[in-house]
Amino acid sequence: MSNSIRYLTRRLGFYSIAAWAALTLNFFIPRLMPGDPAAIIFARFRGKLTPEAMVALRETFGLTDGPLLIQYFSYIKSMFKGDLGVSIAYFPEPVANIISTGLLWTIFLAGTSLVISFIIGTLLGAIISWKRGGRLDSFLPPFLAFIGAFPYFWLAMLSLYIFGFKLEWFPLRHAYSDDVTVGLNIPFIFSSIYHAILPATTMVLVSLGGWMLSMRNTMITTLGSDYITLARAKGLSSWIVMLKYAARNAILPNFTGFGMALGFVLSGALLTEIIFSYPGQGYLLLQAVRSQDFPLMQGLFMTITLAVLAANWFVDIAILFLDPRTRK
Amino acid sequence: MNKNSILKRWGRGIIKNKKASFGIYFVSSLIGLSIFGPLFTLDPTAFLGTPLSPPSLEHFFGTNGQGQDVLSQTIAGARQTLLVAFTTGFFVVLVGAFIGGAAGYYGGKIDDFLSLIINVFLVMPGLPLMVILASWLPPGPLTLAGVLILTGWAWNARVIRSQMMSLKGRDFVLAAIISGESNTRIIFVEIMPRMLSLLASSFIGASIYAIGAQVGLEFLGLGDVSTVSWGTNLYWASNDLALLTGSWWTFVPTGLSIALISFSLTLINFGIDEVTNPRLISERNWKKQLPDNTLNNGVTPVVRKNG
Amino acid sequence: MLKIILISLSIFSIGCETKKERKEERALTIYQENTASWVRNFNPLSTSGTARWPTSCGIYEPLFIYNSMQGEYIPWLCTDYKWEDNNKTLIMYVRENVLWSDKTPFSSEDIAFTFNLKKKHKGLDTRDSWSYLKSVKALNKTTVEFKFSRIYVPGFDAIVGQPIVAKHIWEKIKDPIRFSNPNPVGTGPFTEILRFDNQVWELGKNPNYWQPNKPEVKKLKFPAFPSNEQVTLALISGDLDWAGAFIPAIDRVYAKKNPEFHKYWFSETGHTTFFYTNTMNKVLKDSKIRKAISYAIDRSLVVKVGMYNYTEPAHVTGISGKMAKWHPKDIETKENWVKYNPILSNQIFDDAGYYKNKNGFREDKNGDPLSFDIIVVSGWSDWIRSAQVISQNLKKVGIKAKVKTYDFGAWMSRMQKGEFDMAIGWAEKGTNPFPLYRGMMSSRYIKPIGKDADANWHRFSTAEVDSLLLQFEKTSDKYVIKDILHKLQNIFIDYAPAIPLFAEVSWGECNTTYFTNFPSKKNPYAPLSPNSQLENLMVLVNVKVR
Repeated sequence: MSNSIRYLTRRLGFYSIAAWAALTLNFFIPRLMPGDPAAIIFARFRGKLTPEAMVALRETFGLTDGPLLIQYFSYIKSMFKGDLGVSIAYFPEPVANIISTGLLWTIFLAGTSLVISFIIGTLLGAIISWKRGGRLDSFLPPFLAFIGAFPYFWLAMLSLYIFGFKLEWFPLRHAYSDDVTVGLNIPFIFSSIYHAILPATTMVLVSLGGWMLSMRNTMITTLGSDYITLARAKGLSSWIVMLKYAARNAILPNFTGFGMALGFVLSGALLTEIIFSYPGQGYLLLQAVRSQDFPLMQGLFMTITLAVLAANWFVDIAILFLDPRTRK
Repeated sequence: MNKNSILKRWGRGIIKNKKASFGIYFVSSLIGLSIFGPLFTLDPTAFLGTPLSPPSLEHFFGTNGQGQDVLSQTIAGARQTLLVAFTTGFFVVLVGAFIGGAAGYYGGKIDDFLSLIINVFLVMPGLPLMVILASWLPPGPLTLAGVLILTGWAWNARVIRSQMMSLKGRDFVLAAIISGESNTRIIFVEIMPRMLSLLASSFIGASIYAIGAQVGLEFLGLGDVSTVSWGTNLYWASNDLALLTGSWWTFVPTGLSIALISFSLTLINFGIDEVTNPRLISERNWKKQLPDNTLNNGVTPVVRKNG
Repeated sequence: MLKIILISLSIFSIGCETKKERKEERALTIYQENTASWVRNFNPLSTSGTARWPTSCGIYEPLFIYNSMQGEYIPWLCTDYKWEDNNKTLIMYVRENVLWSDKTPFSSEDIAFTFNLKKKHKGLDTRDSWSYLKSVKALNKTTVEFKFSRIYVPGFDAIVGQPIVAKHIWEKIKDPIRFSNPNPVGTGPFTEILRFDNQVWELGKNPNYWQPNKPEVKKLKFPAFPSNEQVTLALISGDLDWAGAFIPAIDRVYAKKNPEFHKYWFSETGHTTFFYTNTMNKVLKDSKIRKAISYAIDRSLVVKVGMYNYTEPAHVTGISGKMAKWHPKDIETKENWVKYNPILSNQIFDDAGYYKNKNGFREDKNGDPLSFDIIVVSGWSDWIRSAQVISQNLKKVGIKAKVKTYDFGAWMSRMQKGEFDMAIGWAEKGTNPFPLYRGMMSSRYIKPIGKDADANWHRFSTAEVDSLLLQFEKTSDKYVIKDILHKLQNIFIDYAPAIPLFAEVSWGECNTTYFTNFPSKKNPYAPLSPNSQLENLMVLVNVKVR
């Protein structure tokens, strides 16, 4: 067991280095770019503010012009304290508050679709690999690859138009309907699920193929191993062999992929969120970028990166339990 | 075993493979169309007819919200989109092969360091980084390609590194080392050709990724919307409320083109996978090639690769 | 999965029933701000413009409202004013019997407090009022005295448009710049926050509002919309009552779907969108060349392609619509260089010595082709389209002009630093053309290339204009004002410092199914657009329940 702890510590060490790299990148990118926030806010009024307003705006938003190194250290310090600063586009709201309004919704929407897509895709992959060369196996991979080839925002727009606007089966926007109270109550929960169906379906459809194919391919390799032949020879039923012996091992690469995807969830739903007016991180990021809201952008990038790292670490732990070889 | 014979066998396999040959056929005809097509179509940026007029003999795919010819725009759009996609694919593989290859071949400290860089880039969330970078660099195809390469190379480097590690242990490499060949020669002459199928499928995979990501960024208005590409076509279609006005023709041709080219590229990759690893073949005639009823046992046949 | 679908379909059926809301419960549903989730901020003094839309046109109120449709100041929290001491003192007479929404009486003290707060916190002084004010004092409960440090009559607009905050609340706030004012106390028609969730919030009416029996609407509702497409969907499906969005092909998409209730009015603001030519450029510094470029632009095509014919080609003075009343009488006799005339354009270029080469492009004396970049903000699609048309127009007279899009920040920085050849942009706005011509031609904003200029990005000036502007600042005499503005327009026509493109309109749509008495062409008591800042107060007060 001490080996596993050493393994996990080593991974943790790596993630800290990755986090530091992201932090540093995060610090330098906005500072190398042109434009200043006061001018952006001024520009947003398209001439309705007098030029004199720039004085007041610079007073409010003026970036501290210290030496870059000192700025860098104070930035690292405040990041460690969890102080993400104050947003410019939503001034004077703290960045942490703004991010928290969207974070849960993104996790809910993208997380659910990821889990659904992972489960269905992996299962389908296991099934078609079992019946390799069968009807499903020759039809499903190309079919899902074709669906997956569409840009997902394109499918999202089309489905919003057909199922939302024309047929009125699903709501046109938002994460819940306006007439429910936000909180842990039945109408709210149902309403959120109902609102998530259309966006989630489009995300599941385009990602299903990938999970299925990678599961199928590893599964086929696994099915060739001796221990499977042995299990069959012992006369175990096909389902037990398929799920308990083959799939359990074949799922490992897919599981690593799941860890990566879990983190990307926080950013991946960007376009879907914009199309369905979903109050998540996606639009926030775009807004932050458009108004050169450095603090908000850095906060979003930081949360997303940390989530990716955390997700990966959890996957490391899970694999430790699933795959005995790593424990050696 | 001779590496040239692997290549030949592999090439023949690809051509014989139905999926791959369909993909290759379609992709190359689209590339041809994007190169020569604009010579025969109307100026895609000229304001020609009544805005949003449906498909007619004059404009086969109708006109968009500004009265530009949708057919010309779709064909002209292919040019920039594919150029960016394949450039990205090429450089992603190049960078991946260099860094991943070096890490896998040399091992030790060099591997530790390069792997760290690869892994850091792998866990860095690409999409937000892309959005942030694309919005500030001067918009255009070069920026797009640069951003996509930066956020996309690490995955390939990782795959190539592990392939390199496994090949490095093979006899032919050891033999080459003993016979005193230089490292560069071993890498480029001995190992790389044997990795060709991996490099090819990496190139295709990266190109597919580049098409999708590029179109998404441009759709957000982060590309140069004054040029014509598939992403900007969709940007303008959505800007002109293509669906609400019922003008599907401004929206569907580009979307279908994107889907078809990505699909064809995926098919080529299916083909490559099946040729290099025949166990993966899903075509039904596979059964006939097998001497016994192994399939019914649920045991996967293993075709030994030339002993 | 199937279960989820079934459950949700059952919710859907419930949803359908609640859709048929009873009329008296319907909240006036408004779209003005593009966002995916709401952030609670009701600070009317905030510089950043990050407060929610109704903050300064529903919750808080100004002293007077300039009605751009009628061209007059409407008394609001003040009833009258007078200039004294040779325009160095302004006296305001404050309305009586106005209550804050917490029932505290409103008085002149609140006005004086608000202005002195801006003095104390420079970051709040968006209009830079304290560059010309000396003191603001409440003389008694109903009079406020503004003393000026220098004569600056145009400062009147900034003073009367200031939203007033409650002294008894704000004197306790330590940092008013960073105060998000989550529970506002105002004098306006709508002050009660009924709910505030990230994707929708509601604002109820002020029970103590000073205008009797107003507003008739009980509450306002603000769903979050991140894109124009979503706004249009909501308008068509009847989920919005009032919106200010750019909607392409609006007749087909919206108005004709239900002609009885679906209304829109894109009213002219009187201002203009300009095509800027950098006068520091060695070719463009010549006013003849600037006019030649203007002659080459087919504005009706620009308006058709870029603006869906929602507006009209610009007037040569850069002011039109309600602002046209400032035109000099003999305006028709002046050179009308905004008229499309490519032949004349070609001739001017030839006369100036820029001849066409064998490829059809013009060259200067050294044989270098005339080639420019038109810079536009990426994402501002109407201007990008317009720039594309202009680029094609200029090509026809032998000028290479390439459209380049930049992100907001990069674009702004290039404009301010003067690092551009040509650009499409806005101009300063105001209740009269003074801010426009000051921004276009005053030397006070000019900075060397590479340094940020807050206005006059094209860097044009003449001494003549500077002295006229100075005279203007010192007078409150109507006739003198008119005379100076006439002279400024004539100078503008002579020099063409910037090229007017098309008249600016503001987008306004309404759905009259549940509410009536929105402004319209026939009933222009205010602009319909919710992007009209203070004037929107008049709409919120006057909209009626059907």
